[in-house]
Amino acid sequence: MSYPRLKNWLDERYDLTDVKKFAKSKLIPEHRYDLLYYTGGITLFLFVLQFITGMLLAMYYVPHIDHAYESIIEIVTKINLGWFFRSLHHWGAQLTILFLFIHLFGTLLVKAYRKPREMVWITGFILLIISIFFGLSGYLLLWDERAFAAVRVATGGAGALPVFGGFIKAFLRGGMDVTGDTIVRFYAFHVSILPLLSLLMIGLHVLLVQYHGVSVPRSEIKDPQPTVPFFPNVFYKDMIIWLIVLGVVVTLAVLAPPEIGIKADPLAPPPANIKPEWYFLMVLETLKLFPGTIFGLNGETIAIICVVVGISFLFLIPFFDRKANRGEESTVFTVIAVIYVVYFVVMTAVGFLS
Amino acid sequence: MKLKYSLITRRTFLNTLFGGWLFAFFSGAFYTLMKFAFPTLGKEPDFVVLDRKDFSDIPNNSVKPFAWGGALGLYFKKEDGSVAALKGVCTHMECNVAYKPEEKKFYCACHQGWFDETGRNIAGPPPKPLEVFDVTEDGDKLIIARKGVKVELPKA
Amino acid sequence: MKQPFLIWAKSRLINIPRIFIAAAAWTVCLPLCAARATEKIAVFPNAAYDACIIYQNLAIFWFFIIGLIVIIGMKLKEIDRIQKLGIDRDDENAPRLD
Ligand code: FES
Repeated sequence: MSYPRLKNWLDERYDLTDVKKFAKSKLIPEHRYDLLYYTGGITLFLFVLQFITGMLLAMYYVPHIDHAYESIIEIVTKINLGWFFRSLHHWGAQLTILFLFIHLFGTLLVKAYRKPREMVWITGFILLIISIFFGLSGYLLLWDERAFAAVRVATGGAGALPVFGGFIKAFLRGGMDVTGDTIVRFYAFHVSILPLLSLLMIGLHVLLVQYHGVSVPRSEIKDPQPTVPFFPNVFYKDMIIWLIVLGVVVTLAVLAPPEIGIKADPLAPPPANIKPEWYFLMVLETLKLFPGTIFGLNGETIAIICVVVGISFLFLIPFFDRKANRGEESTVFTVIAVIYVVYFVVMTAVGFLS
Repeated sequence: MKLKYSLITRRTFLNTLFGGWLFAFFSGAFYTLMKFAFPTLGKEPDFVVLDRKDFSDIPNNSVKPFAWGGALGLYFKKEDGSVAALKGVCTHMECNVAYKPEEKKFYCACHQGWFDETGRNIAGPPPKPLEVFDVTEDGDKLIIARKGVKVELPKA
Repeated sequence: MKQPFLIWAKSRLINIPRIFIAAAAWTVCLPLCAARATEKIAVFPNAAYDACIIYQNLAIFWFFIIGLIVIIGMKLKEIDRIQKLGIDRDDENAPRLD
């Protein structure tokens, strides 16, 4: 496949030699853990998929308390292939978050955040927070009773934060309670604010990765480092993995379309044994560990402070891990990383099974 | 010499195959996306409300047409007097079907498709049964609704 | 004939732990739920014919994916071979035509 005319046309106008040279000269290190490099690519791919399906769904969704639920039912039952794209968007979201966590924990365990890549870690972490917020806001848009209850609990949880809690809660809900105003607000978050923010962050993240080059785990640093060119070798492997992921998402979307519950009714009791999305289970289980009052203080507030501290520590971990920054072995932080991973997995499993 | 030849042909062959396959794949994906994005034309109503007295005294073993959105609906009184309503549009290529009282079957003249009294496709090309609606009577109204749809009449 | 297989497929893919929970939950709250049971919204085209076409399309889709993967695999092998031969690099010292 070559198109000499097109090539000439381009060559006469743009000097692409630098781009070509860059593509050829970009090298990816090869070692035992290099599979981790693909997790970032997978999330990027899933993000693109979410953008596409999301744009299409936005053509039919009506963000109004009287029509939100009905419009989704219309999408699912009447619009050509509507059921499929809703399901695809749902499963795409689930897998995005899953792979974000895998990417995060993988990075954490091989300490890829260490100097000079602190900002890569920070932007990535912000992307995770954005994505979780994506999930929460998207979930409410369905406006069935489970979504309603879940968002009420989540925003209420934010309200338990000291000092700013009340503010955050009112800001998120667009009022004192979850109402029709909340739908409009979450719609704005979901289709305009968060996508733009995430585009910005993804751009920054990818640019930084290009700038620094991918990290090599300390134990795998060799001289000379065995490498493969990004293009074409790694690129094609990336493509294979994307195809498999696409196949898996589509299969899940076809075989397990998410259910739609009864329309949310602010006056009705919440449905029996509801659960939030799986990535909130860990937080929920942590909250359950705390008694109602500790030394006369509200247990819930303390629990939420603990969660916030735990997350903030993880967020800022590259700045704490001095040894790794100096390129030394830092066993303490390996242990901390393992604790984080185990805690996350165990708590999510407990939440899932209880 | 042999090496050089095989190298070039295999490469171009692979590239062409790859490009073509990719093109087919993306066309399929694009078609699917567009099918969803393009407005679904001829969306059907969830239910229609008819006048009951127009339909109550049709003879047994006969049908009376009504408008189901832009399509044909058939109000059907069976031999034994029980009633049903179906969409009178053939599932093969959307011709209107007609009821044949002698055979107690629905017949599609376009490609000789046959459906039995319950709307099941029994002969000819139609791939699936006729759509059957729920019939409810409410005072002097006759409500014909898609299966599984909650009917909410506009007030007053 | 198709139905049992579908249920099996669905359950194997995602629902193994949930089956038990769901069964337990159902026995407990069935009386509760019965009061407010409504028709489930069809999130999947439920006519057997439509479902059949969808599964067919899924199979075709996988066929295309696997085909692509195989082709990419062949391409990768080809690339490897060329890289081993060392003829993928432009010769910097090659005499230029112009
Ligand atoms: S359209 Fe009815 S049989 Fe072909």
